[in-house]
Amino acid sequence: MMMDPRTAIGAAIVAVVACAALGAPWLAPHDPNLPDFAAALAPPGASHWFGADDLGRDTFSRIVHGARASLMVGFLSVAGALVLGTSLGLIAGYFGGLADAAIMRVMDVLFAFPGILLALGITAALGPSLSNAILAIAVVNLPIFARLARSQALVIRSLDYVEARRALGFGPLSILVSTVLPNAMGPIVVQASLLFASAIITESYLSFLGLGVQPPTPTWGNMLRGAIGFLDMSAWLAWFPGIAIFATVLGFNLLGDGLRDRLDPRA
Amino acid sequence: MTRYIAYRVLALVPILLGTSFVSFGLIHLVPGDPVVAMLGLEADAQSIAALRAKLALDEPFLLQYVAWLSNIAIGDFGRSIQGERPVAALVFTALVPSAQLALAALAVSLLIAIPTGVVAARHRNGPKDLAASFVALCGLSLPSFWLGVLLILGLSVHVPLFPSSGYVPPLADPLGHLRHLALPALTLGAALAAATMRMTRATMIEVLRADYIRTARAKGLPEREVVWRHALRNTTIPLVTLVGIQLGQLLGGVVVTETVFAWPGIGKLTVDAIFARDYPVVQATILVTAALFVLLNLATDIAYAMLDPRIRLS
Repeated sequence: MMMDPRTAIGAAIVAVVACAALGAPWLAPHDPNLPDFAAALAPPGASHWFGADDLGRDTFSRIVHGARASLMVGFLSVAGALVLGTSLGLIAGYFGGLADAAIMRVMDVLFAFPGILLALGITAALGPSLSNAILAIAVVNLPIFARLARSQALVIRSLDYVEARRALGFGPLSILVSTVLPNAMGPIVVQASLLFASAIITESYLSFLGLGVQPPTPTWGNMLRGAIGFLDMSAWLAWFPGIAIFATVLGFNLLGDGLRDRLDPRA
Repeated sequence: MTRYIAYRVLALVPILLGTSFVSFGLIHLVPGDPVVAMLGLEADAQSIAALRAKLALDEPFLLQYVAWLSNIAIGDFGRSIQGERPVAALVFTALVPSAQLALAALAVSLLIAIPTGVVAARHRNGPKDLAASFVALCGLSLPSFWLGVLLILGLSVHVPLFPSSGYVPPLADPLGHLRHLALPALTLGAALAAATMRMTRATMIEVLRADYIRTARAKGLPEREVVWRHALRNTTIPLVTLVGIQLGQLLGGVVVTETVFAWPGIGKLTVDAIFARDYPVVQATILVTAALFVLLNLATDIAYAMLDPRIRLS
C-alpha cells in the first residue's frame, strides 16, 4: 500500500500539528500567557523565535498552545455532528414515513442558514466560549451528515443482504446497527475528514470575530484579532497565526482528498 | 416548468417558517435575562421593566413569536435597542453595500477562475495544470480573513495603493468607491476562485472529449475557436449552478470580510449588533440573510432546470 505524495504531505502536516497540540507544555519555551513588558512587540529572534505580542507574550508558545483549541474544536464538533447526524439520517432513511419527514424537515431548516451565520447566531446567544464554539459548529455540520447517511440508508435498505437479515428474523435496530451502519460509513468518513478542515476555519472565524475561545487562552483566530492593531510595525504577529491555520487546513484538505480517492469509488 | 416552479416555491414556505422560528428563538437561548444582557447590569428597574414590556417578553413564547412574525409580514421588524432606529431600514440599507461587494467578488472570481481552469484543462497533467491545481488547493485552505489582512499589509500599509477600510457610495464618488471595493472584493473573490477553477477544469476536460469537439476540429476550426467558443459554452450549466451556490456562500463570506474591512454591509451589521447585544437587529439580520440564502438556492435550482430539461422531468 503506497501512499500518494499528497496524502503523505497532508498526513505529515497533521501529525506535526497533533504533536504540537499534545506536547504544547513541553514544546513551548515560554508560558503562553505570561506578559513580559520588556519583550513587548519584540521581532522574531533568538529568545522569541516568532517574536512577541504587545504584552510581550511569546508568539511561538502561543501558536503551539493554539493548536490545542483548533484541533479540539475541529475534532469534537465533527465527531459530535457525525454521531448524531448519522444516527438521525440512518433512522430517517431506513424507516421512512413520519420519522423521515420530521427529521429531515428540521435538517432542512438548519441547512437554510449560511454555516458561519448559524454558528455566529448560536455563539452570540449562548455566549462566547470553547464549548459553545464546538456546539455551534456541530449544529452547522449536523444536516450534512444526516442527509448523507439518509441517502446511504435509502440505497442499502433494499439490498439483498439486508433483505436476507430481515428474512432471518433480525429486528430493525439490529439490522440498522450491524448491517446498514457499517456499509454506509465509507462516504461518511470521507465527509468527516473534509469537514475537519472547514471546522478549523470556522473556529478561527469565530475567534477572530471575538465570539470563539476567549483571551487570554491563545487560539490562532484570536491571535490574528489581536494582530490587527499592529500591522504597520509588527506584521509578524499576523503572519505566524495565519500560516498555522493555512498549513493545518491544507494538511486536512490533502488528507481528505487522499481518503476520498481511496474510499469513495464514485470520485 | 410552471408546475416545477410552483412546487418548489410551495416547498419553501415551511422552511422559511422554520428559519423564522430559529431566528426568533435564538434570543431565548441567552442565559439569564436577555433584557439585563441588553441594558447592562447597572440598568435601573424601571427601564428594564419598560424594555421587557416593549419586547413583550412576559408573554408566552409562542404568542411573542406570532406577534413578531405578523409584524414582519407587514414589513415591521421593530426598533433597534441602540438608537431606537427602525430595524427594517437598518437591514435594507446594509444590503446595498453587501450586494455590491458580493457581485464584485463574483466577478473577480470568474475573471481569475475561468481562464485558469480552461488553460489547466487544455494542458492536463502538464506543469501549467499542476501549478494551477496546487494554487487552487492553497486557495481552498486559505482563511479569507487572513488573506484580507495580508492584502491590507501589502497593498495598503507597505505600498499604499488602496484604503484599508471604509466605504464610499458609488454615486457620490465612483472612483473612490472602486478603490475601497478593491481589497474586500479581491479577498472574497480569491476564496471563490479556487472552487470555480476546479469545476471549470473538470467540466472542460469532459467537454473536450465530446464528439462535437472532434467534429469542430475535423472541419478545420482553429484550436482557439474550438476551445473558447464551442467547448467553453458547454461548461455553462455546471458553472451557473456553482455561481448560484456561491452567491449563497457569499452571504456567509461577507460576515468576516466586511468586519475586516469595515464595509457597512449586512455582515458587519450582524457582528456589531451581536456585540451591542441589540437582539432585535440580530434576529432580523439572521432571518433576512437566511431567507435570501434560501431564495438564491431556489433561483439556482430553477435556472438549472431551465437550462437542463432532464432535471425538471425526472
